[in-house]
Amino acid sequence: MKLMPAILKNTDRVLNACSTWIKQKKDMVNYIKEATNKLARKYEVKDDSEYNLLPGWQFLDKKLNNKDIPLLSWRHNRKFTELKKIVSDEVVENVSMLRFCSLGDPKIWSLNALMYREFDLCEFITGSRIAYLHATLSHGLAGNIIVKLENGTIGSVEIGVQAPAGKPLIERHEIIARRGVASDIVVDTQVPQSSIYAFTENGDMGYKDVDNELFGMDEFQVEWVRAAFQHLKDPTQSENLIKQHNHLSRLVESALKSNFNKLKVKVE
Amino acid sequence: MKPIKIAILSLTHGHTRKYFQTLNDNPGFEWVAVSAESEKVRDIFYKYGYDVPCYMSDEEMFEKHSDIEAVVMASGNSRHLEQFRMCAERGIHILSMKIPTFDMNEYDEMIKLVEESGIICQVELEMHYNPVVNRMKKLFSENQLGVVSGINATNITLSPVWAFPWQGVPEESYGKRVPLNSNNTRFRGGALCDHPHIFDMIRWLTQSEFDYIFAEVGPNIREELEVEDIILVNGKMKNGVSFLLDPSWSRLEERLVVPGPGWEVFPKRMEVNFNISGEKGVMLADCFGPNVYHNGAPNDRYTVQYTYFDEWIGMMDEFIHCVRENNTPMINLMWHKKTIEAMNACYESIETGQPVFL
Repeated sequence: MKLMPAILKNTDRVLNACSTWIKQKKDMVNYIKEATNKLARKYEVKDDSEYNLLPGWQFLDKKLNNKDIPLLSWRHNRKFTELKKIVSDEVVENVSMLRFCSLGDPKIWSLNALMYREFDLCEFITGSRIAYLHATLSHGLAGNIIVKLENGTIGSVEIGVQAPAGKPLIERHEIIARRGVASDIVVDTQVPQSSIYAFTENGDMGYKDVDNELFGMDEFQVEWVRAAFQHLKDPTQSENLIKQHNHLSRLVESALKSNFNKLKVKVE
Repeated sequence: MKPIKIAILSLTHGHTRKYFQTLNDNPGFEWVAVSAESEKVRDIFYKYGYDVPCYMSDEEMFEKHSDIEAVVMASGNSRHLEQFRMCAERGIHILSMKIPTFDMNEYDEMIKLVEESGIICQVELEMHYNPVVNRMKKLFSENQLGVVSGINATNITLSPVWAFPWQGVPEESYGKRVPLNSNNTRFRGGALCDHPHIFDMIRWLTQSEFDYIFAEVGPNIREELEVEDIILVNGKMKNGVSFLLDPSWSRLEERLVVPGPGWEVFPKRMEVNFNISGEKGVMLADCFGPNVYHNGAPNDRYTVQYTYFDEWIGMMDEFIHCVRENNTPMINLMWHKKTIEAMNACYESIETGQPVFL
């Protein structure tokens, strides 16, 4: 058998991996679309399936066309909805500092995607915009960013894409205020918890199911469907979503610039 | 599908407010009216701002809205039979609260009323529509644990009696005043009556019925209550699975008249957890976790802020389906009867001091 030259073999492998990834992405988009349609049918909401409703970070470095809608899907995750409520209802008062961390699987996440998401969470939870940031990023693999919000709150954003494949995002979102601390991690623990732990002869498994109407979907798929459905219910939100997407894209660029120039950067 | 014209009766059950959003959002319902048992609950209802008329008697509501097809019977346990009769007579379908009655003669009359009138009666055991329970059922159906040997389940909460006083009155929660036993100054009708879920769930998970059951009460942590608040239950299912159940009100509360922020003293006001041992391993489940946490207002105490409570959506979807397709609900009166019998057996065991065989 004639051996394929190494470079061609590598190209072939890359192309195969790409086509698998594209197929998986398409499958995922269809899966989300199907679930969104199901909700639309149940709640009698007009379903305009022409929209390209994806989590906003998927549009980074891409010019949006008029059907592209960058969703801020994490805002529909109940843990972030509740953290925002805790701040806006002044359950914790006068927020001084955020401590956010997000370590992901590189097959799903990039540093830019994580920055996009975490920067939006800083702004969503506090209701204030990021004014300055200073970013230190290492080889597209890990990074540590300090942000300062317009209301004076400071925040640390720790990101990384070196978690093993298949590992759900390891995250922590802690809000420190003059009155109280709020967090999505229970006190005296380091990692997000599951609802079910099974320790069996097949190994250790954790399960977290958060939405019975969308049972079978993981937390990220659920928030994506909920965000897409919300857009179907209220398409007028497109303008704000696009505005925030442009702003978050600039924040990510500012972080890259800050890292490159080793300077604190004011966000334009 | 034509929406079901639905009303809520009484507004005095602790779960009442859980129905508001579902009845309002689900296009399968047209929420036409509510009846209130007191001005207090009427005024609380008005604060939610729903554009739904509120009447001070069930009869007046039924007279004004003769097109009501179904009700959520959100009343104290002692009112259920009377309301069952009223609904059966009018051919109105019933979503019953989790305890239709503890009196088995009354229970049989309810079954007869439902059968003879042809109405649908679904019992509110909302845990079946909880996503964690759904996962547990799936793992069981996949035989992930193999043959199950033991189950420990908790359904522990704060006590709702300060906000929903009928839950602390033996005649209203249990149906009559029955002393726990001859050496006791307390009566049946407390925490046990509030927590049927784990008795029901163990039947689902093991696909077996109770063989025998033993129960013991501890000293109340709320000394002024005349019903039990600390109770433990164990026993065996007919297939040999041993179980331990804790249906206590073992989480102290601030004595709020209307539930709201700061109700809890212990950080988590309600938990339904399972520990299950099987031949292939063990499983631990928390049906209401994880969540988010804070130590802010109003009491600066470490507090669990729940992130999901969507059980009522799926449960009411099933109710719509059963009413419109004339199907029998998963949790119907016949199924639920054995759960109520097991709870009664707990009281009998407390009285006799010995296990009770079912």
